[in-house]
Amino acid sequence: MSAWAARLENPLSARLREPTTTGFLGIVLGAFAAFLAIPPIEARTVTWPILVGIVAAMLGIWTVTRGRRRLGWGAVAAGILGIGLGILATRSSSSNLGATFDSTLVAQTLSFATPLVFGAVGGMFSERSGVVNIGLEGMMLMGAFWGVYGADKGGSWAIGLLVAAGVGGLLALVYAFFAIHLRSDQIVGGTAINFLAVGITGYFFVQLYHNNPIPNGVSLLPNVHIAGLGNFLEGSVGDLSVLTWAALVLVIAAYVVLFKTPIGLRIRACGEHPRAADTVGINVYAVRYGCVVLSGVLAAIGGIYLSEGPQGNGTFLFNMTNGRGFIALAAMIFGNWRPAGAAAAALLFGFSSALALKLQVYSQSAGTLFQILPYVLTLIAVAGVIGRTVAPAADGKPYAKQ
Amino acid sequence: MTDPGPSPPPEAAPAATTFAGKLALKQRAGGIIVPLVTVIFAFVMSGIIVAATQHSVHTALVVFKEIFDGSGLNWIAHPTTNLFNTSAYNLSQTLLQTTPLILTGLAVAFAFRCGMFNIGGNGQYLVGLLVANWLGVDLAGLNPFVHVLLCIVAGTLAAAAYAGIAGVLKATVGAHEVITTIMLNWIAYWTASWLVGAGGPLQISNNPTDPVSNQVSPSARLPDFWGVQGFQGLHVGLFISLAAVVVFWVLLNRTTLGYEVRAVGFNPDAAAYGGISVRKNYIRAMAISGAFAGLAGTLDMLGGAQNYQIGQLDIPFIQVGFIGIAVALLGRNTALGTLLGALLFGGLLYGSFHGLGSSSVIDPTLATNLTYIIQGLVVLFIGADILILYIWNSRKKLRPPTAGKTAKPAEAAS
Amino acid sequence: MSDHVADDLVLEMRDIRKEFPGVIANDGVSFDVRRGEVHGLLGENGAGKSTLMNILYGLYRPDGGEIRVNGKPASFSSAREAIQAGIGMVHQHFMLIPVMTVAENIVLGVEPRGRVLLDERGAEQRVRELSQQFGLAVDPGALVSDITVGQEQRVEILKALYRGADLLILDEPTAVLTPQEAGELFEIVRSLQADGKSIIFISHKLNEVLEIADRITVLRRGKTIETVSGRGATEESLARAMVGRDVLLRVEKKPSQPEDVLLSVEDLHVCDDRGIEKVRGVSFEVRAGEIVGVAGVDGNGQTELIDAICGLQKIESGAVTIAGRELTQASARAALDAGIGHIPEDRQRRGLVLEFSIAENIALHDYAKPPDARWGWIFPNRMIQRAGTLIGEFDVRGGGPYTRAGGLSGGNQQKVVAAREIARDPKALIAAQPTRGLDVGAIEYLHRRLVAERDEGRAILLVSLELDEILSLSDRILVLFEGQIVGEHTGDVTEEEIGLEMLGGKEAAAA
Repeated sequence: MSAWAARLENPLSARLREPTTTGFLGIVLGAFAAFLAIPPIEARTVTWPILVGIVAAMLGIWTVTRGRRRLGWGAVAAGILGIGLGILATRSSSSNLGATFDSTLVAQTLSFATPLVFGAVGGMFSERSGVVNIGLEGMMLMGAFWGVYGADKGGSWAIGLLVAAGVGGLLALVYAFFAIHLRSDQIVGGTAINFLAVGITGYFFVQLYHNNPIPNGVSLLPNVHIAGLGNFLEGSVGDLSVLTWAALVLVIAAYVVLFKTPIGLRIRACGEHPRAADTVGINVYAVRYGCVVLSGVLAAIGGIYLSEGPQGNGTFLFNMTNGRGFIALAAMIFGNWRPAGAAAAALLFGFSSALALKLQVYSQSAGTLFQILPYVLTLIAVAGVIGRTVAPAADGKPYAKQ
Repeated sequence: MTDPGPSPPPEAAPAATTFAGKLALKQRAGGIIVPLVTVIFAFVMSGIIVAATQHSVHTALVVFKEIFDGSGLNWIAHPTTNLFNTSAYNLSQTLLQTTPLILTGLAVAFAFRCGMFNIGGNGQYLVGLLVANWLGVDLAGLNPFVHVLLCIVAGTLAAAAYAGIAGVLKATVGAHEVITTIMLNWIAYWTASWLVGAGGPLQISNNPTDPVSNQVSPSARLPDFWGVQGFQGLHVGLFISLAAVVVFWVLLNRTTLGYEVRAVGFNPDAAAYGGISVRKNYIRAMAISGAFAGLAGTLDMLGGAQNYQIGQLDIPFIQVGFIGIAVALLGRNTALGTLLGALLFGGLLYGSFHGLGSSSVIDPTLATNLTYIIQGLVVLFIGADILILYIWNSRKKLRPPTAGKTAKPAEAAS
Repeated sequence: MSDHVADDLVLEMRDIRKEFPGVIANDGVSFDVRRGEVHGLLGENGAGKSTLMNILYGLYRPDGGEIRVNGKPASFSSAREAIQAGIGMVHQHFMLIPVMTVAENIVLGVEPRGRVLLDERGAEQRVRELSQQFGLAVDPGALVSDITVGQEQRVEILKALYRGADLLILDEPTAVLTPQEAGELFEIVRSLQADGKSIIFISHKLNEVLEIADRITVLRRGKTIETVSGRGATEESLARAMVGRDVLLRVEKKPSQPEDVLLSVEDLHVCDDRGIEKVRGVSFEVRAGEIVGVAGVDGNGQTELIDAICGLQKIESGAVTIAGRELTQASARAALDAGIGHIPEDRQRRGLVLEFSIAENIALHDYAKPPDARWGWIFPNRMIQRAGTLIGEFDVRGGGPYTRAGGLSGGNQQKVVAAREIARDPKALIAAQPTRGLDVGAIEYLHRRLVAERDEGRAILLVSLELDEILSLSDRILVLFEGQIVGEHTGDVTEEEIGLEMLGGKEAAAA
């Protein structure tokens, strides 16, 4: 009997009683408690957040007694946090809340999440094949500059996209050569890639544009307009960039490729046990090269969104990624090296960025503090408070052919 | 179970278990050659970029001459202490840049020697910077010696504690220090932005919208020993940095603490078996590493900078911790090597900034970016000893140290 | 056509040469396999067996020589090419991915597929068919991390068969198995043979090769010594061929004079790093002047037992006492200070810091104590002086106090470890696999030294996977099975009796 069949035969009620399930449910409920007080639900009483928060905390305690301590305490903390935030939200004025938690918040969350999803999924391919890629930041930056350059000189955003992908892939190829063939330390190599990208983009920005901004009227990434969805939904998803929708497709495609195809099986084998893969005739180097280059291409596409997307508007600034590549890396780790997980983490981080932007209207400082959230959450995640993230076994270990 | 056949001949060095171990092996293989060739390589390749983009080899050569002169290193030809002499002034500025780089280099090197990659030098540097600013502003009027000492000690300790977080996480739950220190970098960065941002606790008192901190009080300033009134002088922090180099060497090679750190760095299993607490050493080494980086921050704050500004894209503020990685790697994680590496990058930073700032052959704003490219190339090639050694020594084919295949635990277990 | 029609050779290897820096691993080795035979490949560690097979399997490139498969010249530059030629290899360290299922591991690289997607059901079906055809029971849907070592080996064999292997290389297949599992493996090998498969059976265990092989080739120091028929050969003749002289199996020693109890372990329970209980209520005593041997198949709690005694692993319950001092929750440091010496099973991973000098390695336990150090300050000269003395006393060759430990040969590395542990004058000395992977000379030295230390009045606990070593050195033998002591012997006992107990008696019979 296969493990899968065993899992299916377990009655649903039994699965619900598993501590893992209850723990996660508690965390979700805790988060939900805070949301009850804000639009679109907007319960104007403190009762609901408190009730839901208490349920979350109780689930957490139950989980603790069942042995999953960290997860349980996480749920307890989420419940208490939810109650606190819920009370805070109900106390502040409704119109302020309405202005903060409206459909544009959703749209901005998706917008902020888009480059992160590309970067995170790219990084995931690289790491699943066994190559740590902290050069994502640099590859993104290359995409941001060369994308807008391609769009400017080529006259079309599509050319920009191709140029970005090509240059990102090229930089990744350089990294791959050092990380795979020369067996450089991958952290050192990734750091070098980040320096190089800052230098190269800065140098050529000056060289090609002579210290002037990129001229107005560059062909931008188009938005996809969807009408007739009703107010809230249309405000949320009615006017998103084509890359945002592409990110959605990418997550699904990445899942299918990685877990449902022979090539995905081979990629994972290279990341878990390269010698085993080698002995059955899989070309470990080829797989790793492919995955690293793919990660560069995807990261660069994420990068072009920064310069050519709705927020960038065809401009390039020195070192404009400003840590987004690292947030993408964080999203990948937070998402436990899985496409859906990485996408969920990217959405969470995108949400915190969007919220930071909104909150700046009321308090500059509060907005700034929200920028910290992704990093703190990732720190907590790698510390193993909410489940434990597990990297592929051979991640970061150079493989020497015999 | 027995070893499979003779494939690693008994004499062959087996695969090192940690990064520090690998580095040590490479160091033995490469000696001084690898850093030298790496630097030459990086300069040649960046020269090719300049020559290609400016369509002139001559320009590239002039650029490097200008960087060299700009760094003030030509002072050696005509030594003088008269600071109105350009080369002397430039040299003082190069040494000013070198001061924090020595320390962030030592920070990275110390963690390396314990088998860890402290990529969080920037964050720790920022913590030192901010604490020094806070106390430097708040305790105005103290006895200058006490005030300076207090700021330095507090900033250093705060940075040590901050880096210690990564050490604790590695020691207790095995969280990889590269990930945690990256996160801590950005947490420090945004916290700093909040602290000096509009309405933040450290924000300047006389202008509520300017995202900049107050200047440290005169009583907390490090005295200049080589400088001209009104110009940025070379402060005594340089000597503190040089002392730190000595401390680094003594700590590693002449104390039981250093013995433990090196043992853990080379082989944590053997260290634990020898009765050394690996966890304690991870935390301790990370804290000491952070202390070096934090010290750099305090010196910069009390010496040159005096205040902190959001989004200040001056190289020291944003990149000093990262350049420390290049410095340490180039210096092979040794005390003396780090000192020389810091001098190289200090010269490069100031030399390109100053020398190309008035260049007749190249757009001055390219300068900083060229530095980044050189820095990137150095780090890229220093990590690839195999390539360097292969090119350098192609007659005697060198066996890469990782090829020895004593059953690696991760791969053998199944 | 081949000119060996009568023999019908599946494989011929002629004058194979392979050199590694400093070592000639294969020096003109010749070797052939007939269709449908089990061919034993015998040799000591380092004789060149694995190198030869890695060359055949395309993992190494030979420096010279010729390979013919089914009469045609062949030269494999990768495992893929060897697989295509019908060669399958079961590595000594299994090449399986723990987080994947049995079926995924088997089909990896030659996956059945629909138009694009992986055909998971088809894969499991195919594995089920194969396992029935050859009588290799496995659960295709189980995760490899959940199955036993014996099952893992079957998965490895299935992996080769799935790829259509006609010639199977089994590299030290019994090293990780219990004698019972080894028996099952022999059944499998015979049934494969009956199906027309040819098998190369690599081992350094004489009795196994004699039992299973039709012909036997002996390698020594990279050269072919002889190829003989399995029927005519005897253990003695093969042993002589393997080592080049008569082997001294027994160690000369006087009867032991046990005195006070120096090491005692009481109802000890220890979990491994994953929280699985590996030592389940072990109690024993070791007295001054005796060697107590712990026999058992690898992975039955030996590592955890030793680590718990030495303060390297947390003790769940029970007590450890050294010379009257309770050490139950003590640190490694406290255990060392109480008088434990420990020659660890893996000298390169644990026993030595390979990048340190010999002097620094000898100081590994006492680096913080006078004379090596005072007030946290180290005196390197004193370390070097002490190391110099010990290098002489323990006959460490190949370097002085400044020499990097990683540059020494295995035997000399082990002498450095032994020197350090013995020079500390421990009350109880734990020797785990002390002679693993060493040459005969070093083995003899260490064995004599252990007996000498026993006679000095130390309590010695010898843990080894080599039954021969246990039998020849121990005054008393404990048998460890699944974390419990299942047998204790003082007098004469045969290898078979202990072998049976290593299976766990009734428990194993029921399985």
